[in-house]
Order: sequence, then structure tokens, then C-alpha cells
Amino acid sequence: MFGKIGDSMLISGRIFALGMLIAIWIFVLVSMEQAKKKIPTFRKMAGLDAIPEMVGRAAEMNKPIHFTTGLGDLTSTVAPQLVAGLSVLGYVSELAAKAGAKVIYSVYQAQVMPIATEIMKDAYVRAGKPEEFDVETQIRYLSGEQFAYASAVQGIAERERPAANIMIGPFYAESMLFSETFFRIGAIQLAGTARGYQIPFFAVVCDYLLIAEEIYAAGAYLSKDPIQVGSIRGQDVGKMIAIILIVLGVIALAAGSKIVLDLLKA
Amino acid sequence: MSLLIRRQIPIALVFITALLIMMDYFLKLPPLDARGVSWTSPVVKDLQNWGVILTAFALGFGAVNLFILHSRHISRRTVKQWPFSVWLLLMIILFTVVGVSYGATSPEYSWLYNSSYFALSATVYSSLGFYMTSGIYRALRARNVDAVILLVTGGIALLKNAPAVAVNAPFVVSIDSWLNAIPTTSAMRGIMISAALGAIALGIRTMTGKETGFLGRLTEAEKGG
Repeated sequence: MFGKIGDSMLISGRIFALGMLIAIWIFVLVSMEQAKKKIPTFRKMAGLDAIPEMVGRAAEMNKPIHFTTGLGDLTSTVAPQLVAGLSVLGYVSELAAKAGAKVIYSVYQAQVMPIATEIMKDAYVRAGKPEEFDVETQIRYLSGEQFAYASAVQGIAERERPAANIMIGPFYAESMLFSETFFRIGAIQLAGTARGYQIPFFAVVCDYLLIAEEIYAAGAYLSKDPIQVGSIRGQDVGKMIAIILIVLGVIALAAGSKIVLDLLKA
Repeated sequence: MSLLIRRQIPIALVFITALLIMMDYFLKLPPLDARGVSWTSPVVKDLQNWGVILTAFALGFGAVNLFILHSRHISRRTVKQWPFSVWLLLMIILFTVVGVSYGATSPEYSWLYNSSYFALSATVYSSLGFYMTSGIYRALRARNVDAVILLVTGGIALLKNAPAVAVNAPFVVSIDSWLNAIPTTSAMRGIMISAALGAIALGIRTMTGKETGFLGRLTEAEKGG
């Protein structure tokens, strides 16, 4: 009976992935429940810990903080990176509002604007300064074309000379244009992306870097919410499973068996 | 009411939408249509179309933002900015008029696009070479062990791409190929796996309403545990 249901409902080639997704889901939920009793310890992320210092520097220098989420949109595979960036935007905006610094958020996709507006407005309300939030000058839609957007960000850097630049999201060829331009004007920089090919560019130029999974953990890390932090532990269990599968796969292939490979293709 | 609008409805919408899309990807749920397509497929397609429509609306929002911001710059004669603002608004009007009058696929619109934006875009892209050179100049300084490794591997990659070296010292090409195929690929795969796991964990937090960053950081009462 189960065989028949399985045959008709499960899509071949995606069965193992579904199983892994369910397993990781369970691990994450269990970890979140456990975190209610005991908060897990986790390593420090220098980039995220540096944000208050970056905001303080901008406030002291009376210069703005530039923030962008790169070429992120809400309807493609890079959407999680954008959501991760927006989680940090709220935190940065609240700190900036308290310190009296201005955040400029450069937008590539117009669909992000209403969400960013809500996030920043909430941050200013929480900081007790709702009247200081100016949506037109702080949230700037630049362009939906990659290099028009890149040029506009460079223009903001050259004209308004932000003291800090935070870039979290999916970045492409513009990563180096941004990081070098902001380096030249002396801005302290935090960059984070899950796009592997851009990580080296950020690594050589920016002061702080968040690599791949770290950007997804940023929201949880900054919230200090034990339940959210607990989910990171569940994610680590998934990592261990991946490592075990890699080792088993290498051993099996060396022994002439494709059992792990076939399992992954199921 | 505020809690319902600010927290429960958005989270419920995210949960239902994400669940539907995942079900459509992983499962073929009955009833199936004559082509053997699951009932979830047309629903997901509709959701994607709604996304396109919402994006189109948001573009109008973006255009309004551009007009307000740059009109302010023009009226205040912001130093180093207002001439660019005038130019930007003129271009928006020109592209809109030509696009609406002749159509976005017309030769007139294509000419305007290719001879202005396309050329400028290629120029900005090519300037990347200079930015990369200045960036790598600073990076390739042997300050510590990591920087030395970067210096050596970067040097090998540079030499491999120099035709004279590739011809006279082919072992450099072999070393570069090994560096690309083994250490670089394994590191990239590690990053990819961890990023995928991170995205799944973020997705689970978002779907279960534990990650509230995209809703604005909610108050303790609104989080509700």
C-alpha cells in the first residue's frame, strides 16, 4: 500500500532531498525546544559584533551609514539572502536612530521598498525617534539594472561619504566596485554573501566578512533570542550529516560502490 | 488587531505559500489533471504571477520615490547632485515617452537603450578590471600565513594566464588546474552546503514565525514566545 502511495506521490530524484529537508526541519525544531531550557553557546561573529562600533563611528563623524542588500529580490532563489540582509537592516536602523546617525538604504528591487520602509519605521519607533525617519531620503530606489544601480551606489559613496558601509545579500560583479569605492572614501565595511564567487572580493577589501551560512544566522545572532539561536544548532546537525555522507561517499566510491551516490540521486 | 495584522496574518501567509511551493516541488499530489500534473502546480503558477503583478506595482512605488528624492535635490540645488538629478528625471521621462509611444520592443526604444544604457553599462563593467587590480595589490602582501597562501596561489593563477609562461613552463598550468579542481572546488562546495543548510534553517524559522526580521523586529509582546 505504502509502495503505491510512494510511487504515485513522490517525484523521482527528489526523494532523498525531501527526506533530508524533513530531518533537518525536525533537528531545528528540537533544537529550538531545547534552547528554551538551556541556551546553546555559539562562537562570536566579529562582523556582527562590530556593528555598534560602526554606527558609533558614523554618529561621531556626523556621517551616514550606507546599507544595501545587493541584487536581491523576493521571488528567486536568492530571496533568503535578501531576508537575511533585511534582518540586519532593522538592527542597524535601531542602533543608528538611538545614536543619531542616518542610515541610507540603497534598493535594487522596488518590491523590497515597502518591506524596508516598515522595518526602518519600526526601528525608529523602537528607538523613540519616529519623527527622524525620512523615508524618501533614507530608502532610495536606484535602479533595477545592475550597473545603473552599481553606479548610483558609487555616486552615493563619493558624494555623501558614509562612515560605514554594510552589504548583506546576493552580490554579483558589483561587489568589487562597491567595496573598493567605499574603501577609498575611508568607510569601515561589513560584507556578507552566500555567493561563493564574490566572497574572495569582499575578503580582500572589507574590514569584516560574513561567509555564506553566517548571513542566515545573523538575524538569530542579533536578536539574542534563545529559540532563534537554538535553530543554528539544528543547522549544525545537518552539517554533520553532510560531512558523514561525504566521507561515506568517498569510502564507498573508493571501494567501487555507488551506494551513497545512488542514495543521493533517489 | 495590531498583533493579528502585524504578526499572525503575515506569518500564516508565508507558511501557506512556502508549504505549497515545497509540496509542488517534492510531491505529485492527487487529484492530477489529464497531463498528470498535480493540483498544486497551477496554484503555485498563480502565486508566481501574483508576485510579478506585485513587482510591477512596486516599480511604480520606486519611480515615485525617485521623483520625490530628485525633485528635492533640484529644488534645493544640492551641491554636486542636482545636475545629475535633472539628467536622471529627463531620462526617465524620455524612456517612458518613447517606450509608451513606440513599445518596449520597438527599434526606436532599442536604439535609445543600446546607445545609452547598454554602452554605459559595459563601461562600468569594464572598470571592474581597475578596481580588481587595486584591490588585489593590497591583498597580495605577505603580512601573515593566510596572506602568503593567497599571494602564492594568486601568483600561480596570474602566471598561468600569461601565454609566455603557459608555453615555456607548462607545470604552472598543471599546478593551477590542481588548485582549481581540488582545494578551490572543495572549499566552494563546503560553502555551498553550509549556505544551503543556513537557508533551510532561516526558512524554517521564518515559516514558524520565529524569525521576525522581515516583519520589522517585533516587540516582546508581539513576538508572543
